[in-house]
Amino acid sequence: MSMLQKGNPYLYVLPAVLFILIFFFGGLFQGLLQSFGITPYNKDLVFTTLAYQELLQSADFWQSLLLTFRVSFLSTMLSGLLGILFAFILFIMALKGYDSNTASLFYRIFQYPLVIPHLAAGYLFLLLLMQSGWISRIGYHFGWVEEIHHFPILVNDTFGWGMILTYTWKEAPFITLMIYPVLFRIHKSWYEVARLYGSNTRKFISNIAVPLILPAWLSSLFIVFAFTFSAFEIPYLLGVTYPRLLPVYSFELFTHGGWMERSQSLALNIILAFITAILGGLSYKISKRWLLNERRGWE
Amino acid sequence: MGDLVITKMSKKFQHQITANDSSSNPPFQLRSADLKIHEGEFFGIIGPSGCGKTTLLKCIAGLISPDKGEIFLGKENVTHVLPEKRQFSMVFQQPLLFPHMKVIDNVAFGLKMQGINKKMRWNKAKDMLQSVGLSGYEYRHPSELSGGQQQRVSLARALLMNPKVLFLDEPFSALDPDLREEMRELVKLLHQKLKVTVLLVTHDREEAFQLADRLAIMDEGKVLQIDSPKLCYEKPVNVQVAKFLGSKNVIEGEVSDGIFRGKHLEIAYTNYAFSENKGWIIIRPELLKRIHSEIISREEGIFNFTGRITEVSYRSGFVHYKVNVHGQTLYVIESNQSDLPEVNEQVTLQLNMKKVHFIPQMGS
Repeated sequence: MSMLQKGNPYLYVLPAVLFILIFFFGGLFQGLLQSFGITPYNKDLVFTTLAYQELLQSADFWQSLLLTFRVSFLSTMLSGLLGILFAFILFIMALKGYDSNTASLFYRIFQYPLVIPHLAAGYLFLLLLMQSGWISRIGYHFGWVEEIHHFPILVNDTFGWGMILTYTWKEAPFITLMIYPVLFRIHKSWYEVARLYGSNTRKFISNIAVPLILPAWLSSLFIVFAFTFSAFEIPYLLGVTYPRLLPVYSFELFTHGGWMERSQSLALNIILAFITAILGGLSYKISKRWLLNERRGWE
Repeated sequence: MGDLVITKMSKKFQHQITANDSSSNPPFQLRSADLKIHEGEFFGIIGPSGCGKTTLLKCIAGLISPDKGEIFLGKENVTHVLPEKRQFSMVFQQPLLFPHMKVIDNVAFGLKMQGINKKMRWNKAKDMLQSVGLSGYEYRHPSELSGGQQQRVSLARALLMNPKVLFLDEPFSALDPDLREEMRELVKLLHQKLKVTVLLVTHDREEAFQLADRLAIMDEGKVLQIDSPKLCYEKPVNVQVAKFLGSKNVIEGEVSDGIFRGKHLEIAYTNYAFSENKGWIIIRPELLKRIHSEIISREEGIFNFTGRITEVSYRSGFVHYKVNVHGQTLYVIESNQSDLPEVNEQVTLQLNMKKVHFIPQMGS
């Protein structure tokens, strides 16, 4: 009581800390134990790395890992490029004194994909891109394709284009949202200074704007990569049966396999969490180092 | 290179409604400005805030396209030359250094844009930093410098380009008084050393008077007078110039039969040479001298007033006071050598009418 009266801050955050400890770290810890074959409530207390060994020796795992990397990498790159391109279009519009209402209208339109849940985005792309989907039917109607099954397979395809396109559509606005405020802080007067000293718009972008937004861009790329690497909904909807992306592969192992597969599923989750944590740490380190320099003298 | 000549330059801004603000900015017009700035001259454009001096400067620099008018540098017409090709430099009110670049890279930015190799541009930047007293600061970031140091870097960046004209857009207004004085000295020194043509824009009279060889006085988008600082102050062409440059005693009236008649004051005024007899006399505050009544001079052209002091203030060695002379308030500034005058004290003021300036109404 006296602690409360004194206003001990630790006590006030205790419920939140307990919640995180129990449900996040608790779950993680339980998963870790089970991945090593330890299930205390089942009186199974023998430590084993069998699940990891079997997983790492399985061709399915490596195929799945490769596909997951490819889909995440391409989605991240495409959304990164599209996001930065759009942010720069808005920035140049502001720099050249275009009507600011038009720019803000574009900005708002570009933000809409952010409010659509990933699952809904998956369905939307499924309906749009499958061979019996809207685009294929429109193409058939206008005579662009002879038969609707001549339309290229873009969803549930082995390369993962459906997933890549959906992620790009969803994540490019996120990248724009992350870097546009940084670009917006660049003084118009800096552009005037740069012009007087012999720089044109292209040189200004490459010498001033890009170095200033690079840290924010890199951090957002890392976030997108980490997310697409471990997200479940879109690969579940738009992926193929084999090879599956790691999160789907883990889900299937967990729900459809036996007891042994369950340990493998959890081992897979631990590997996913480990890779994501490494990426997160790397992103933090890079952005911390860069942001320190970038933030200097902004005001 | 030659003189910088601006002819009939005008620019009109319409009502502008910004996206985040529904209020509209009032329209503004820069009216047909003509200027001739000699090569190597330190030229000042001075006027109250919002009078159009920065617009004029940016039109000359090419950062704003003028609606009409031409700019010549020597014989070359540069009106339609892109700003990046004009070889002009500018120091703004804020240092506007690029935060992600070290001091040396900021200074050498212009040379980098010209494609000069790193070694050469760094060497030149180091020399220039030495000239502005910032040796040893090369590898710091702008945020590690004080406001005055940042402005010095900005100045070094501008001078390194060896510009045909250097624009200074109120460059010291964000600095504290000591630093401002220091920077003015530095700019004056560098101007003498490098013989660069400088165009300074400021609303600070003291700064303009201290630095400029000649001044253009602007108000409401119009150039009102171009002269040396002394002439602008002592012989203003109209009342706006007189008031802006600190003339406190601007008295409206009429001259007839060798006498100036104001609302409250009548003064013998013989050195009158205008066809218009209505206008204003400008009595500069320092022309009025407090004298003892026993030494009143009866010389020709010397006029004596008797009045009562209504207000006194002491400012760094000078005493400023207001004297009510038959209902007319006269503002007096004199160096303080004895006790301060007191409010309600009766004083006699002496004025040499030969130094009084008359502005005829039609000329205003």
